[in-house]
Amino acid sequence: MFPRASKHSPSKPSAIQRRVIRAVGVPAALAAVALAAAACSGGATAQQTAVGNGSSFVTGSYGTTVFRPGSRPTAPRITGTTLTGTRFALAADRGSVVVLNFWGSWCTPCREEAPALGALAQHFSPASVRFVGVDIRDDPASAEAFMRTFRITYPSLNDPNDAVALDFSGTVPPAGIPTTLVIDRTGKIAARIVGGVSYNGLRALIAQVLAERA
Amino acid sequence: MPVNTGLAHVSNDFLLFAVAVYAVAMLAYACDFAFGKKPAPAVVKARVPELVGAKAATAPSATGPAGAAAPAGADDPGSAGPGPAGPGTDGSGAGGTGPSAGVSVPPGQRLGRGPVGFWVTAAVILTSVGLAAHITGVVTRGLAVHRLPWGDMYEFVTALTCVAVTFFLAAMIRYRAYYLGLFVMAAVVLVLGLAETVIYTPAGPLVPALQSYWLAIHVTAMTLATGVFFVAAVIGVTYLVVDRHGRRIAAGRPAGADGILRRLPGAAELDRLAYRTVIFGFPIWTFGVMAGAIWADSAWGSYWSWDPTETWAFITWVVYACFLHARATAGWRGRRAAIIQLTGFGCLLFNVLVVSLFVPGLHSYAGLH
Amino acid sequence: MTGLRIPPEVGPDTPASGEFPQAATGEAGPGRDGRPEAGPSGWDAAESGSSPSASAAAKPAPARADGARGGPGGSSPPGQYWLRWGWRQLTSMRTALILLFLLAVGSVPGSLLPQDGTNPAAVSQYYAAHKTLAPILGRLSLFNVFGAPWFAAIYLLLFLSLIGCVLPRTVRMVGSARQPPPRAPRHLTRLPLSDSFRTTLTPEAALESAAAMLSGKRFRVRAEPGWVAAEKGYLREAGNLLFHIALLGVLVSIAMGGLYGYKADRLLVEGTSFSNTVTALDEFYPGRLVSPGDLPPFSLTLDHFSASYVMSGNLLGQPSSFNAAVTYSAAPGDPAHRYALAVNHPLNVDNVRVFLIGHGYAPEFRVTDGTGHVVFDGPVPFIPVETSGFTSEGAIKVPDADPEQLGFFGVFLPTTVNDGGRLVSDFPAPLRPRVSLISYAGNLNMNSGTPQSVYALNYAGLHQLAVPPQPLAAGQSIKLPHGLGTLTYLGYRQWVSLAITYDPGTLPALVAGIAVLAGLLLSFMVRRRRVFVRAQAGEGGDTVVDVGGLSRSDAAGGFDDEFSGLAAAIRGRLEVGRGDHDPPKGE
Repeated sequence: MFPRASKHSPSKPSAIQRRVIRAVGVPAALAAVALAAAACSGGATAQQTAVGNGSSFVTGSYGTTVFRPGSRPTAPRITGTTLTGTRFALAADRGSVVVLNFWGSWCTPCREEAPALGALAQHFSPASVRFVGVDIRDDPASAEAFMRTFRITYPSLNDPNDAVALDFSGTVPPAGIPTTLVIDRTGKIAARIVGGVSYNGLRALIAQVLAERA
Repeated sequence: MPVNTGLAHVSNDFLLFAVAVYAVAMLAYACDFAFGKKPAPAVVKARVPELVGAKAATAPSATGPAGAAAPAGADDPGSAGPGPAGPGTDGSGAGGTGPSAGVSVPPGQRLGRGPVGFWVTAAVILTSVGLAAHITGVVTRGLAVHRLPWGDMYEFVTALTCVAVTFFLAAMIRYRAYYLGLFVMAAVVLVLGLAETVIYTPAGPLVPALQSYWLAIHVTAMTLATGVFFVAAVIGVTYLVVDRHGRRIAAGRPAGADGILRRLPGAAELDRLAYRTVIFGFPIWTFGVMAGAIWADSAWGSYWSWDPTETWAFITWVVYACFLHARATAGWRGRRAAIIQLTGFGCLLFNVLVVSLFVPGLHSYAGLH
Repeated sequence: MTGLRIPPEVGPDTPASGEFPQAATGEAGPGRDGRPEAGPSGWDAAESGSSPSASAAAKPAPARADGARGGPGGSSPPGQYWLRWGWRQLTSMRTALILLFLLAVGSVPGSLLPQDGTNPAAVSQYYAAHKTLAPILGRLSLFNVFGAPWFAAIYLLLFLSLIGCVLPRTVRMVGSARQPPPRAPRHLTRLPLSDSFRTTLTPEAALESAAAMLSGKRFRVRAEPGWVAAEKGYLREAGNLLFHIALLGVLVSIAMGGLYGYKADRLLVEGTSFSNTVTALDEFYPGRLVSPGDLPPFSLTLDHFSASYVMSGNLLGQPSSFNAAVTYSAAPGDPAHRYALAVNHPLNVDNVRVFLIGHGYAPEFRVTDGTGHVVFDGPVPFIPVETSGFTSEGAIKVPDADPEQLGFFGVFLPTTVNDGGRLVSDFPAPLRPRVSLISYAGNLNMNSGTPQSVYALNYAGLHQLAVPPQPLAAGQSIKLPHGLGTLTYLGYRQWVSLAITYDPGTLPALVAGIAVLAGLLLSFMVRRRRVFVRAQAGEGGDTVVDVGGLSRSDAAGGFDDEFSGLAAAIRGRLEVGRGDHDPPKGE
């Protein structure tokens, strides 16, 4: 009924049209592809495993981050009440190295690293290195039982409202639990370890920070 | 406010009455097929170019060119005169309606100002009465529960069939598409009957997630669009039947059901009517999906979370978009496009009947559990 | 009489009756190469002899042909030929059809199989239930369809095809924006809609009158000696292009959200609070470029939660309202504000929104171990396992109990009834709350560092204690054997689950969506149509005026009425100068 499509030689678009298409179309297409590919591959892999699993990290920030002396963020002013009821202020520890450890009695990697932390607290003298814990989403009874089990002698702040973590959000936020921050003598954050610490690794790190001139 | 159970019962009564009246109307349409008069020749009022000899078309015995005149002159059904071909047996290849309409239908036998027989009149009156009862039933349900009456599956089905019948009635009268009556009514009776028996949910308040003004906007749009696509699907099925019949005739094979099919217009007209219906419904569906996304954003924080019902609404949208693209592609118009359209409606049905009832997700408000 | 004329728009296979992204100015599909066809389309015939810019614009190079084009051009090298052929295939309508279809089909498994992003627990269950099938499906990314590379390839190709078609057509549309209508065909009576009448006006006056009328109706008019051509409906193509470009905008908005947005969940017990930091969130799904420091530092306390249920009638037990009274502050040190959080009524802090998603019960327990220390004292969220009675399950883990670690698993029943010997909950409100627990002792397996769910026990190292799980009312205790300790049920609190979301692409997506709808409506409702008028001297001193009209893609109908209105208006103007009337022919 109607003539079928016949083959023709491909006719060229006008020169101006070609230039416009090349100039605008190709980058637009590539940009769209790149954006979309980046966005869609970002979804699943950057997930955090749920606290429902007894631990939580943001994949990608797992591991140790060390800040060189010139580029260290200043630690915020942390105050709170320890589990034994005494007041605590981070600023009061200026002059010593402070190791701040975020933990919870329900958190399985925290339980795994607890012996190392307890031993390290014994290893270094309290005058030069202060260990302080920040207890997250725990009731005081469970927290004290945890400290009894692992013979933790250093104090911990009870932080049910995540106020301490919040204070760090502008600088070096804890990206999950457990997170350990090493703060140097001048009150600046020297390192952050996300995930469980090992005895030797943390000891070396603390020794390094301790060795610095104040 | 407590549910007004008295009004809820009134609603049920009206809806049951509507189903009964629709069933009788369906019979009347069927009788029109069986016993109704075939349209007699009449003066052609086509706006045809004089060169084509429009006046010649009034002769009772149709000839080829005259047969071509009617379709040539009137794209718009309802404005052209009826086909001149008298006895309807002269169907051979007037071919005026293009390559796909090899039906042995006298080419003028289209949507036209044909004589409206007793059966059709009765059927239209019955449909209108049934629709009035249907609307009353839906409205009283709304009054009984003090909200818009499409908050659960049962209410959704009664509302969408109401929209479908309204749309069909309007289209039927505007385009004189009385032949649609039998098929649309049959489908509506079936669906509404199911709603009253199997899917019935007693009147009650909405779960908190549905207590939002977005219910009115989103579900109303989806109900409207579903009703419209319902009619388009019925037309699509009719098209396929007529088309298949035409192909068999063209191939010289005997084809049954000549009586009914000769009363139907050519496949081309059905195809266009289906297309017009879909392009009426497609923007409504698009709007409904968008409104749902806005509601999801204000209720759950994310405008698109690939919830199964959302996904199937998206699939339905894509398939109907396929249909629209197919109609613009040579080789894909006609039968293939109709199949795509019916696939789209199938996805819609799957979404309403299977996904919202059996697949867990945020959308299971069917009220059936 | 002229031969059988088959006008466009009648058969579904008419090439000229194309709807959607048909080519812009004057192309009609296959067979179109600028020459007027002997066949049907008055639209094409009207193109013959149109201005050079029009015919150049009508060249189909990147247009949506049906892919049947292309023999080797003599002037292009083979590589370029293949590239061009490939590009034409990609941007052809048929490819778009296939890709659309694949997009639809590819979404199906994403809706029927459990997906990692929304329900990871269900995915694990599926793996457990279908040991051979599940890994195969997993390798095909069927548990993460919408993030799968093959799904991305489909929609990326689709959008590439779309860009490749839309951009040239936009350029062409802009280029032809001022283009005048084509010349009028010689025989207007061959057009699908035409009318003819006589008038005593001179041809020039008749044409001028007709042109004025059409111009008044906002047609773009081109008047030449002997004929007038008018065209209207250019917005249709603009609407079409707007629709497709806006779809691109939606994709970009989704990408923005995927890069800079994030979603998080948190379960919060009444009386407790949390701050918006990563350590405080139960689940955190950041976009690609989001880091923990980007979260605005608000904190929120759940003061009180209440749920009300339908107390009578057919829908007994269905929830009727949820209300959470919260206090929040936008940053440490900022003043506190109260807010009534409800479903469909989120809290907005610093463009981050907090939604009330669900609720449940958290019974409170105190556990004393064998040495007399209180080793656990607080609420434990239990998860509802069914909605009609809100039976909830949970686990209590006491890893620091002496001499043995303790674990408990059981149910909380808000309205406890005895159903033939079994305890079930009859109603979701806490009308008669009881807790029933099975007690375990041994090694909870928590010290090795492997993650486990807080809602379930790892039974590998535990042994069940010989204590019957009798239902406890508030204040009642279980005394464990062998001096292992005591558990006391203290009462219950409620918890809410909150969704915290931030998506900078929401507003752009909304704007793009509105543009999609606007473009769609424009392209459906606006018809591109042309009206021609010819006037020449006829016998008897009269002037014969022919009016013809055709519309491109008028399957939506309506042009017939418009045309008859225009013809009548023209006739009305011309009748001013008529002498004795002839009845107009072809009416």
